[in-house]
Amino acid sequence: MIEAKSVSLVYENGTVALRDVSLHIKPGEIVYITGPSGSGKTSFLKLLMGIEYPTTGRLKVMGQTMSRMNASNIRRLRQKMGPVFQEFKLIRGRTALENVMLGMRFLGFPPKKMQEYAMEALTNVGLEHKSSSLVERLSWGESQRVAIARAIARRPSLILADEPTGNLDVDNAMNIMDLLTSFRDENTSVIITTHATHLIEDKEEGTFIRIKNGNLQIERRGEALV
Amino acid sequence: MKSAVYNMGYFLKEAKTLFKIDFMSNVLSILSIGLIFFILALVISGWDIMSFIIETIEKEAEINIYYREALNNEEISKLIDDIKSVEGIGDVKLVDEEESYLRMKDILGDEAHILELFEDNPFSPFIEVQINIAESDIILEKLNEIENVEYIRDNKRVLDRLYDIVSVLEFIGILAVVAVGISTLMVVSHIIRQGIYNNRDQINTLKLLGAPQPFIDFPFVLEGLFLTLIGGFIASILLFVLLNYGYGQVEMAIPFIPLPSVKNLIKAMISFTLVTSAILGVIGSLLGVAKQGEGYIR
Repeated sequence: MIEAKSVSLVYENGTVALRDVSLHIKPGEIVYITGPSGSGKTSFLKLLMGIEYPTTGRLKVMGQTMSRMNASNIRRLRQKMGPVFQEFKLIRGRTALENVMLGMRFLGFPPKKMQEYAMEALTNVGLEHKSSSLVERLSWGESQRVAIARAIARRPSLILADEPTGNLDVDNAMNIMDLLTSFRDENTSVIITTHATHLIEDKEEGTFIRIKNGNLQIERRGEALV
Repeated sequence: MKSAVYNMGYFLKEAKTLFKIDFMSNVLSILSIGLIFFILALVISGWDIMSFIIETIEKEAEINIYYREALNNEEISKLIDDIKSVEGIGDVKLVDEEESYLRMKDILGDEAHILELFEDNPFSPFIEVQINIAESDIILEKLNEIENVEYIRDNKRVLDRLYDIVSVLEFIGILAVVAVGISTLMVVSHIIRQGIYNNRDQINTLKLLGAPQPFIDFPFVLEGLFLTLIGGFIASILLFVLLNYGYGQVEMAIPFIPLPSVKNLIKAMISFTLVTSAILGVIGSLLGVAKQGEGYIR
């Protein structure tokens, strides 16, 4: 799914976001990336999404080498991903259902199937009753769930969630974590970044990556050890 | 392609939303595009009408040859034969004093009573000759050389003047087409670029979700198309009203000027305006979406 060999990312202003990162993530794996703010978690996700390119080293995502690619190749790769953005990036003036469907419109689903998948995703996140509500009328937590529904409705191979728990209280944050990890299956990997290490301390399964000053520490638990 | 068909409703809804977001700018753009197209259609109509008039006059090109009045019938017959022998000559007809008088009476209509002021018929007989207008210079030269030809009255001066007017209208028409083309492209591409800027967050989100560029651009292209089409429609209504009204006035004032059918002219002009506006709308919006500067994700 993801192969990184000695990947570094240095921004134009000289900031080193990632240093000599090497790792391998298999399909169906669940990965938690932790680290303090500014440690490079978001930069790592940016590399995976083709928003940034490695300064040195080699990175392959779903078989695609992440070097200078043209826009249409990057977009094709992103179509296989289900991103959940830190600030949600929902489209105002549209309903929850329209937002979820927006992420699927260019994937070739017939309209009926698209609506069915979108409603199914909203039901999975417990928001079927809010499907026709405008997103600006939803609470923070509800918006977060719509963003997750948009990501999973696309049937992605890789779910990328950047700080999905944000400022939620522990119970709600745990719920969001459990919700996201529940979409993992043998073909779908889930990568979650968070600065709240206490949320994942007790997890018995998964790959735990700690980023500090651009360096990675990797720990595998449960099935991920195999 | 399948995706475009599935999403047509979405694209139309997005185009409507884009229109509403920048409502005042869009309305003003439509009005200015409508006026620009109206002026273009007027110039092209003028050009078309003048070309029609010239064509008609060319088809009916006749000259009148006056001869010395002292000629007897035999000499007149010989003169007609000499005229017929010139290359490029069509029908030749002798118009005597009496017919000449009656024709003028017809032309004057209600004012014909002024002819009664003359004690004698003031008109001279002449020979009416149809000629090929393209060769008029050579024909006139040859006719002038024929014995007993006193004076030739032709429409050359009138035609030359009309040709000059058409040339000017043609030049103005080309200028108008270029000016309208450039200004419409500028207006549309500017409004589209403004729309893209106002929606940059949504565009970036779509890119992050993997939307192909044509999927992102299509609502903007539709918006540009609608702007110019509505503008073209407004211009068509104005043109319809003006041509219908103007034609009646011109026909009453100068009934002897041949004019093309107003229905055909309006139909042709409306088709031209709508097709041109649609083409310019699409090109303008494609120009607008082509350049997306800083602040946009790949």
